[in-house]
This record gives sequence, C-alpha cells and structure tokens, in this order.
Amino acid sequence: MADGGLALSRRALDYPASDLSGVIPDEAELTAGVRIRAGHSYGFFTDTTLCIGCKACEVACKEWNNLPADHVGMTGDSYDNTGHLSANTWRHVALIERVADRPTEMRPFQSGWLMMSDVCKHCHNAPCLEACPTGALFKTEFDTVVVQQDICNGCGYCVAACPFGVVDLSADDGKAHKCTLCYDRLKGGLEPACAKSCPTDSISFGELPELHARAEKRLAKLHEIGVSSAYLYGMPDGPGATGGIGHLNAFFLLTETPETYNLPRAPTRPADRVAPSLAAGLATVAALAMTAFAVFARRT
Amino acid sequence: MQSLDGVVTLVQEGRFLMQSDAGPYHVFILSHAAAAEPDQLAALQRDQARVRVRFKRGRDTIAMVAHQIERLPGRAASG
Amino acid sequence: MPEAPSDTARRYDGTTYYGRPQLNQAPFENLVVGSYVFIAGLSGAAQMLATLAEICGVRHSAGLVRRGRYLALLAPVVGAPLLIYDLHTPQRFYNMLRIFRRTSPMSIGTWLLMGFSAASGAAAVCQAAADLFGWRWPRRFARAAQVPAAITGAGLATYTAGLLSATSTPLWAAAPRALAVRFGSSSIAAGAAALALAERRRGSPRIARDLDTIKLAALAAEFAAARASTATYRRKGISAAQTAIPAAVIETLGGQGLGVLVPFALHLAGRALVRRPASAASIATLIGSLCLRVGVMSAGDASARNPQDSLRLAQPEHLSGRG
Repeated sequence: MADGGLALSRRALDYPASDLSGVIPDEAELTAGVRIRAGHSYGFFTDTTLCIGCKACEVACKEWNNLPADHVGMTGDSYDNTGHLSANTWRHVALIERVADRPTEMRPFQSGWLMMSDVCKHCHNAPCLEACPTGALFKTEFDTVVVQQDICNGCGYCVAACPFGVVDLSADDGKAHKCTLCYDRLKGGLEPACAKSCPTDSISFGELPELHARAEKRLAKLHEIGVSSAYLYGMPDGPGATGGIGHLNAFFLLTETPETYNLPRAPTRPADRVAPSLAAGLATVAALAMTAFAVFARRT
Repeated sequence: MQSLDGVVTLVQEGRFLMQSDAGPYHVFILSHAAAAEPDQLAALQRDQARVRVRFKRGRDTIAMVAHQIERLPGRAASG
Repeated sequence: MPEAPSDTARRYDGTTYYGRPQLNQAPFENLVVGSYVFIAGLSGAAQMLATLAEICGVRHSAGLVRRGRYLALLAPVVGAPLLIYDLHTPQRFYNMLRIFRRTSPMSIGTWLLMGFSAASGAAAVCQAAADLFGWRWPRRFARAAQVPAAITGAGLATYTAGLLSATSTPLWAAAPRALAVRFGSSSIAAGAAALALAERRRGSPRIARDLDTIKLAALAAEFAAARASTATYRRKGISAAQTAIPAAVIETLGGQGLGVLVPFALHLAGRALVRRPASAASIATLIGSLCLRVGVMSAGDASARNPQDSLRLAQPEHLSGRG
C-alpha cells in the first residue's frame, strides 16, 4: 500500500525495541493499515502483476500453521514444484513460464512470465460450507470460511463441492483442511502470515470494501499505462464469482485468461443443483409408482 | 510403531511441533485413530509439556503421524 | 461491475495449467459408496413397491409385502455401515446428526436414511413378530409404519443423484436432472427385480410378472435418461463420459448393456436364450444397477482429474442451463 501506509506506521515508533515482550495490540494496523474487528468482512486482494514468484507466502503459511512439506519432488515443467493447493499447502504460487512468447519490445511491466499466489477464495456463498453435513465448516466473525477440526468427520463432501479444487482431505489425520485466512492471527489482531510476508505487496490483506476500492484503482492505473488485458477475478458476480457464488473474499487481478492460472471462468454454486435433482428424481419415482399402481390394480 | 520423547513447543489444530530430546524439531499430525482430540493439544503447548509420542511416518509428507501421546512427568527446562 | 476484456472473454481454447487437474476429485471409495447408493435405492424401492401392493390390495401379496419389509432393512443394516466405513474419521459419524442443512444432499440423505431406518425397522419388527408368533395385531402397526417408510424410501431411491450432482465434479454436475431420472428409475428397477426374483422362487408367478412389467418400465425410463445425459455430456464437452477407462466401460457395458438391454432381450427372446429368462433378467438388472452407480462415480472422478472437462464446463455459456 503506497499511500497512507507511511502515515499509519507512525504508531510503530511506539515499539522501538527489536525484542518485544508480547504481541503488539492491533498489529495489523501497523503492517496492513487495518484494524481487525469482529463483524467486518476481511479478505485478500492478490495482484498478480506484482508477484515475483518468491513463495515467501507459501513458506510463511507453512511456518505459522505448522504445516508439513508434502508432495516433495520436482514437477519438471516450471519453477512451480508445489503443484497445487492441498491439505498441507494453503498458498500455492503458480508460475506460467511462457517461453514461446518472448517479447521483442519493452512491455509495460514484467516479462512473459506470469506468477500468481493461489489461495482459498473464502467464497461469499461457499460451496464447501453449503455441502458440509456436520457444520464443521462455518463462517467466522471475520466473514471467512474455516473447518473446525474438532467436528469434521472426514466425509470429504466439501472436497468434491469446491469449484476451485482447494479443500483437501489429509490422509494422515482424516480431516478436511484449507486456508483459515489465519483465523487465530485475526483473533489476535495480526495480519495473515502470507500477506505480511509478501515482499511486493502482491498479496494485500484488508477489509473487503477497502480492498475492492484499492483493486479498482490499481486496475484503472494498469489500463492507463497500457496493460489492457488486466481484469479482476472474484468481484461481485464477475468472472470467478458467477452462478450464485456472490463474490470471493480472496480475489485476484489477472492479465491472462482464468484458465491460464487454472481458475474456472464461470464457476457455479453446487447447492443450486439440489432442487432440480430432487424434483426430477422424485417425479421419476412418482411416475413409476403410478405405473406400479396401475399394474397392481389389475390384480385386485 | 516408533516412539520419540520431547517437548511440545507449538500447536496448530491437529498438528504440533515437538523438539525431541536429541535436539531436532519434528512436525506431528494427530492421527484420526488416536484417542486424543485436537483440542486437547492446546494444553500441551501451554505447559510446554514433555511427552512421549508413538508415531508412524506420514504418507507423502515430511511429518510424523502421532498415534499415541503420553505426558511425561516434569517440564521442559525453560530458557 | 468489472468485465473481462474482450480477449479474455473469448471461447475456451483448451488452455490448462500444465495439464494439471483444476479440481480435487471426491475422496469416496467408489465401490463402497456405489454399493451404498445401490443398496439405498434397492431398499427404498422395495419398501415402496411392497406398500403399493398392500394399498392396492393385490391378491396373494402377503409374501411380497413381507419380503419388501425385510429387504428394506438392507439400507440400515448394510448401507449405513458402508457410509460410516467411507468416512475418514469414522468414529465421529454421529456429527452428521448435529445439524440439518438443506443445501447439502449429504445432510438431507442422512436424515432420510435415519427416517427410513426407523420406520422400516418398526415395520420389519412388527412383521417378524407376526411371522414368528402368528399374532395378527402387529400387522396393523407394520402397515402404519410402512407408509412413512415408503415415502422416505422414495427419497432414498433418488437423493443419491443429487448427492453427486451438488458437487463441482463435471460429469455429475453437467446433467443433474438426467442423472436423477437414471438413479431413480434404476432404483425402482432393482427393487422390482429383487422382489420378482424372490416371488418366482416361492410366491405367485403372476405377481412376479407384474413386477417384471414395472421393472421394464423403469429400465425404459433409465435408458431414455441415459441417452439424454450422453447428449448433454457431448454438448458440454465432458469427454470423461466416453473416454475414461474403465469407468465408461463399467457404465456403458455394465450399467446400460447388462442392466437395461440384456433384461429386455431376455424378456423378449425368452427361453431361446436361457432356461429361466425372467430370473436371469432380474439378476442382470441388479448387477447393472450396481454397475451404473460405480461407473458413474468413477467416470466422475476421471472428469474431475481432467482439467479441460472442468474448465470447459465452467464457461459462461453453461451458467443458465442446469439440466
């Protein structure tokens, strides 16, 4: 956050010591310029034009959440050796190394490489939450979506429901896991670990209305300097938040098609298919019951 | 099943970090087959408790899967 | 509202992220959950058909009604344990009973199964009391319990299609109505086939023939819906429906071939083919019904693993059509 950030961090002068005795109250105010209060909506705005693919977010997430390394190995197709989000990987930096697309002229920014730090979208109408039969998945007081580990029984229905391929079951503990948007840190007034660690502020954390305004401003700026392909993914009813999903609390600024980043362009809300399915099924059974009735009635 | 003694230094959901008596830290995941529940782990972190963990190696993860956690008498030497 | 610029709004060109899956596949064990879906359908339908025969006052139907009540026990006795077995933290199965959520077919199904099990259990216990001790009075209670059992049984016979469709798995989500018709009619066919099989061994051949008629009507509906869903998959570009091996083979050869075409052939060609064509047709229907469920489930997994299937289905042109 370029403007306003310096003014806010003046409070940081209250904490000059490098060795603090405890957590700074409302620390997020110093690091992200936002005070975290229950009852407000929080999210991430991930601006992929600023991402340098350093994976500090991945590391910070694993460190804070005590998540083990998983799928250790090389993918062999890019610097992305993480591959995908999983039960133990809640931030994933996608690297699209477009070698065929070597620019011959100076671009407005960056080279042909695209980088995007993917994360749980914390959907407004979250399909995983709507699918959860135990109530383990819930909306927190910060308008984020979290799996309660003491309730989840590992049915795996949320895994199939998620249109973004985010939620995953751990084979080790038999429960569903995904990004909690650092629920514990938010409760302590701290900015989520990934956003705090991001060296280019590609990931910014904040209150949703403020993030939306910031994103629109950034988009206008990019269009102005000639990046005409830039657009927002996950704004209300826009790409990524279609079909009744509403909006994504973690939304993105992209410069290529959503598919390039492995994102669905127009996801749908699975719960909308419950009524048509049940109606069609019950109508079929009712029609066949009438047939049976007619057949049996001949024998009375 | 292998076993390791050490001090629980950090707990997140059903995962905990343990500094083994030999020195290295290990990430543990509480198995679904364990009798303990994730919310019981918080007390271990609060007390920086010494425990004996019986575990198996994780599948496709660099982590141990804890099947049994036994609290040992005494505490970690602070400092 | 922000809009994607024109070059990003073009038709999907097949781009994927290094060919990696865009979705996570459902972590279900297909044989286990597929068997549950089959058993739930069979039990629900058997209970429904037995209740209908009782209400219609079909002559000599005491055996059919009794067997329907006992067959319905398959859902609570075999089906429910299968579901619990498939949980990844099975000892917490009771957390399913914490809430009711109408957006989650798994929650809806849990309560349908509970209701069905209670009512069918009561009907079966009363029936057993009447059978063992020759008492007449429990029959009235069995009749009373059978009505709610039949109603929840109708739900049990078909909600499993919604269970699959209300996910993001492309093959299950692409044609929810057709899938519901297929599962619903396959359930009725399986219930009728199981009852007909027993009826032929020790009951009235006439009732068995009636059950065969019902079964063939259900199979015809299933076949029509299967054609409709194939057309939808083709239109929406779900390639896994045709190409996933062995899922597509199980679904096509097992579900449609053995489950629908073979029974029709046996009923038409009769004794020219086998000694007991009607019984053979019933067995083929039952195996086909199981194959349909397992085949659809594993084809769904294949479609979730195929990024082109999921990214193509998630195009704006597919937003309005849910059928």
